Amino acid sequence: MTIATKPPQIPEPEGPRQVSKFEFNLLRILRFMVGQFPTDQGIQLVRASIARPDCLSAESVHLVKDTLAKACVLFLVRQGGWRNDKFLREGQPASGRVWNRIPIDERSLEFSRPVLDFLMWATAEKVNDTKAVWDASPKALTSGDELFFWMAFDAIRTDPDLLTVLRRKDVFRQNALCWISFPGDMVDGDETAPPDFAALFEGQRAVLLECLQTHLTQRWLRSERMKGQIGDWRRMRIQGRAEHAALQDFLRAARTHNRVDLARFVLWTNALLLTTDMTPIFWTGGLQGGGPPRLADRLETQRSALAMPRQMETLAAWNQQAVSIGYFDEGYQASQMWKAEWEMADGNRVAARAQAAIEMLEPLRGTLNSGISATGGGAKPTENPTDSPG
Amino acid sequence: MSRAYRITVKESDTRQLKAGDEICTQLEILEILPGEDMATLLKEELKKRGFEEQDDGTMVRKDGELTVRVDPCSGEVSVKAEAEETVSQEAKREATGFNDVGPSEKNLRERVKDQLKTDLDKKFEQEQSRLQNKATEQLEKHLNEIQPEISEIVNKVTRDALKQKAQQMGTVKEISEDAESGSLTIKVEV
Repeated sequence: MTIATKPPQIPEPEGPRQVSKFEFNLLRILRFMVGQFPTDQGIQLVRASIARPDCLSAESVHLVKDTLAKACVLFLVRQGGWRNDKFLREGQPASGRVWNRIPIDERSLEFSRPVLDFLMWATAEKVNDTKAVWDASPKALTSGDELFFWMAFDAIRTDPDLLTVLRRKDVFRQNALCWISFPGDMVDGDETAPPDFAALFEGQRAVLLECLQTHLTQRWLRSERMKGQIGDWRRMRIQGRAEHAALQDFLRAARTHNRVDLARFVLWTNALLLTTDMTPIFWTGGLQGGGPPRLADRLETQRSALAMPRQMETLAAWNQQAVSIGYFDEGYQASQMWKAEWEMADGNRVAARAQAAIEMLEPLRGTLNSGISATGGGAKPTENPTDSPG
Repeated sequence: MSRAYRITVKESDTRQLKAGDEICTQLEILEILPGEDMATLLKEELKKRGFEEQDDGTMVRKDGELTVRVDPCSGEVSVKAEAEETVSQEAKREATGFNDVGPSEKNLRERVKDQLKTDLDKKFEQEQSRLQNKATEQLEKHLNEIQPEISEIVNKVTRDALKQKAQQMGTVKEISEDAESGSLTIKVEV
């Protein structure tokens, strides 16, 4: 990825560029948000306030542009853009690294005004405790902006106070990348309203998603392994519901746009997770106490915890469809690509393991007591205790 | 001279409390025959076991305060427990007042009444919680009881479906069933 329209070059100064205290803080916050500055110091800066100047100097604007261009491209390349991979392009498989597959004008990131406005707001205000309103219309954002806001949210969400403030803003709440990466952090109640994922499968956003496949797999894998540590029933239910809703909508949009290759991370997360037969305790083993009084609520929470394995049913249906597509049918190449991916991930076995884990939770299926214990935090391990997290 | 007096207020209330719990799940019906045929087999088996067909096509059986509902077309089964009780609660509070300082007797009485209302609400909440636990316990107990029956129904439907399928494939020469192991062997001449 490169910036196609290069900004007018400011002559390089002999020494370091001179910036004001405010600009210095802004640049450090920016570097923190793009993963180039320590988290604890970055959070501290975001939580602090400083008097806002009328405008920024040309020197600092140049540094902001430079940082955005280099850091975002570096991030995408490191996360998967460098891989010699294969993705669909106009219905046909295209191989190579991202710069081999995609023409330069299609992979040039552009950043617009809301990014700078957000940086100035985050620098000037105590983000966790400010009355100064800031937000931007999600429709006005470029794909580069969305990538930046996703990275910013990811950096900041470790702080619960900041997370609470930011997830209420449209710019994050409507960010499809945020929803597909950490849906549990996008909601604070039972209501889940994922955004429309359609745009994620078109143009440059699809290219970003191609680069992020491995990153998303690792992220979801980590999240699934951490679920066994969740002790609070309510939190588990909220997170699980958000995950299920986001993944379902995402998979539906991928199918509609004939870009099932971009849902590869869902398949691989399950494949890497379900390497052995597992019981639901892997996900629900950390739940503390008896949980909600109603059996229905307890069951719903436990079902929600297995949001990721539940998606294997959809992927298995895709595979069934792919198998039925003949050589002369439309979409043959794409279906062949999916079948190859499915076989490589041992999809049939993974789907069977996912189904087995899900069914253990279901009442009236022969293992009732293992699934909906009245007092415990989930299914009791009948065998295979090795799948217990941690 | 200041004189103290004591007020005793009693409040009682009767409420109709309701609690319920329900679980829904899917029966594991194999598609041996077309969906409609499988649904018919399931419906017949359910009828034999005391389920009654409703206007919407679902099969329902009431076991006391529990209702088991099966949708033969989708295989969805729900078990619902409901508990209902008329509960009377009484609360009593005493308060001391003075004729020359503090609130007047009327105000004091009003204040105590408000407190009593809160006390009664709490008592009813506890009763509601008890009733909810009762409904959930009933549901859990019933699930354990009904599970073998549901398994039997599914097995019976599967066996019947296999027999029908075998008849469709050719001439059935021999059928042997082992109730203990649950195995079914059908020899068909095609």
